[in-house]
Amino acid sequence: MTTITKRGFLKTGLCAGIGAGAGMYWGAASAQKAASLSMTSWGSPAEVAAFNALIEQYKARNPNVAIKLEVVPSGQYYQQLDTRFAGKQAPDIFRAQYQRIGRYGQSGAAIDLSQYLDAGFGQDFLPSVWRASTFRGKPHALPHHTDTFALFYNAEIFEKLGIEAPRSLDKSWSWQEFIGAAKLAKEKAGLNYAFAMNWQNSNAYRWLMYLYQHGGQLLDNELKGPQINTKEAAETVAWTQSWFTDGLVPPNTSLKSSEPVQNLFATGKIAMLLHGDWQIPFIQEQAKFKWGVTYLPRDVAMAADLGGNALAVSRDSKSPDVAADFVKFMVEEEPMRAFVTKAQFLPVRKSLKDKGLVYDIRNEEMKVFLEQSATVPEHLVSTIVMPTWDRFNAKLADELELAFTSGQSPTATVANIEKHVRSTLLV
Amino acid sequence: MAMMAIAENLRVPAAGRPSAADARRYWLQAKRNQLTPYMFIAPNMALFSVFVFFPLLYALYISLREWSLIDTPRFIGLENYIRLANDALFWQSLRNTLVFSVATVPMSLAIGLLLAVALNRDLVGRTLLRSIYFLPVVISNVATAVIAAWLFNDNYGVINTLLQQIGLGPVAWLSSPRWALFSLIVTTLWVRIGFCMVVYLAALQSISPTYYDAAKMDGATRWQQFRYITWPLLRPATFLLLILGVIYSFQVFDLIYVMTGGGPGFSTTMIVQYIYQAAFVSSEMGYASAMGMVLFVMILLFTLMQWRVNRRVEDVA
Repeated sequence: MTTITKRGFLKTGLCAGIGAGAGMYWGAASAQKAASLSMTSWGSPAEVAAFNALIEQYKARNPNVAIKLEVVPSGQYYQQLDTRFAGKQAPDIFRAQYQRIGRYGQSGAAIDLSQYLDAGFGQDFLPSVWRASTFRGKPHALPHHTDTFALFYNAEIFEKLGIEAPRSLDKSWSWQEFIGAAKLAKEKAGLNYAFAMNWQNSNAYRWLMYLYQHGGQLLDNELKGPQINTKEAAETVAWTQSWFTDGLVPPNTSLKSSEPVQNLFATGKIAMLLHGDWQIPFIQEQAKFKWGVTYLPRDVAMAADLGGNALAVSRDSKSPDVAADFVKFMVEEEPMRAFVTKAQFLPVRKSLKDKGLVYDIRNEEMKVFLEQSATVPEHLVSTIVMPTWDRFNAKLADELELAFTSGQSPTATVANIEKHVRSTLLV
Repeated sequence: MAMMAIAENLRVPAAGRPSAADARRYWLQAKRNQLTPYMFIAPNMALFSVFVFFPLLYALYISLREWSLIDTPRFIGLENYIRLANDALFWQSLRNTLVFSVATVPMSLAIGLLLAVALNRDLVGRTLLRSIYFLPVVISNVATAVIAAWLFNDNYGVINTLLQQIGLGPVAWLSSPRWALFSLIVTTLWVRIGFCMVVYLAALQSISPTYYDAAKMDGATRWQQFRYITWPLLRPATFLLLILGVIYSFQVFDLIYVMTGGGPGFSTTMIVQYIYQAAFVSSEMGYASAMGMVLFVMILLFTLMQWRVNRRVEDVA
């Protein structure tokens, strides 16, 4: 029997400790050089908590790297980010909607990440969001998550009025059925208005999903010329305009309004809400009634909105390699699973979609959003990721606002949008 | 004045021409005296240059370029100014701004003066009343706008709730082109009258009571006292408030940004709102700068005109 002296025990322990420490260090293959990074994003409390948890995980893996998350209110986010770029003080990492990546890529504000990625890195990502994160074929951001729209409804009002929400995508309501349900809710449930749509705060592009549902599109198939001055487009404007003229939506929920439409639903002022999956935590917390989620209405086609965000590395970063490594970590399978399930988003990795996810809250409702996300038209994605989209989006908002609130006719609206397409989008 | 000070302070030789050393000393002293005023205004000028003058020059430079903040500015000559001249929205926002100014400036002056005259007397609780009227001035405009937006909210605003209780409304205060500008004007008056009241109060208290005593002895009525003593002596305060009021109205932004976002349609889009939209929504910094330069010239011309008119009136008086 070997006797272990106190000194021997200490020596053995010390060596074992160093060995284990070294093993841990070398075992962490991605351990990075010392760097202090800043990252900027907007986000709900759930998103911010999910970001912070993943930052801590990355820091545990890379003890030399410090990452500070700066959260900016969504209304001022791009204004502040662009101003920081103008002052050459942009954060190392920034979050941006897919619609904005083209602009940041074109100007060089978001660097080309090809040099940090292995060949075939993008293969596991959904093709639409991977394409949306590239500019001239080069990835200028990595897709982080996606989201889409569906129809939230007040289940108690529906039950009372005998309205049955569609239970599968192929049974989704037609436009007429949706308006029928809205009129019934307004007339019989004692509500001033039936529903509201979230397209405020520079989100005019979300109107396009109705255009595609009605068989229209903004640009021709080659994306070279406008295709908006059509019967389908004018009818789509007329249909969405009728929401306001028929008093189905509150008049202060047009595109320039700052009304938080989710409050109207959560406080029972309206029976339905067209909004995205990320609103689930808020509604879960605030709504004191039974509610559910069903599919978007459809017309000649089904179509949903492409939402979601990518993570990019800025040209002002002093450590672009470390920043790129962090962004790669964020879009790995497990961190992505953690983020989307905590913050109620949809994953952009095919592998995660195939395996299925279990969300922290309202798992069944998230399945509706997942199914709906399959109806995002490819042509719509190609249109809204053009580098000039940002500038055009503001003009689209102006024209739709005039149609919805100031009586501009649908034909004049589509004619004006066509002019803006030529002067702003296709330049 | 400066020369007199030099003569008093310098040691003058008893007789004959001053020596070369004395001449040098006089010269240095004179120079020092000339520089002193500049030293006093130097901190102000430094801040003015950094925060106003150089940005103004930079805005002029940018107005001749196409720039989206994140790319390199590209020289395009006078293109932004030509576009501006043909931009119907620019002219509409200018028209909205003029309507807004005409509606808010005279009324805020009139109500402010009325309150100042009322609260210049011995009233019970006048300090409290003065504080209440002045409160919106010290609160941030954004906070005031948020409160106003809640009051005027179409769906759950206090005003509509009260109106509905007496069988009226609801009125689309912020979402109808007809009412939105009205709601903004009311909110602006709420913010501005406190400031006008305080300036007028200070001016009223600086008028010597002897004028009124003399007028009373001559049998002047209250209205005559106001018309021929108070009003003319308040002219400097009125002039100041008019200039500040017009500048405020031309530069109004935060209230509108929070309450209506320039909508519905373009019914409440003022010129600064439109500049903001061009700069930060459409990312057209060059075009926004061109509009900013036009706004600068307009306010400058108005101020110069007012200044000349006021000087002429004072000369006549």
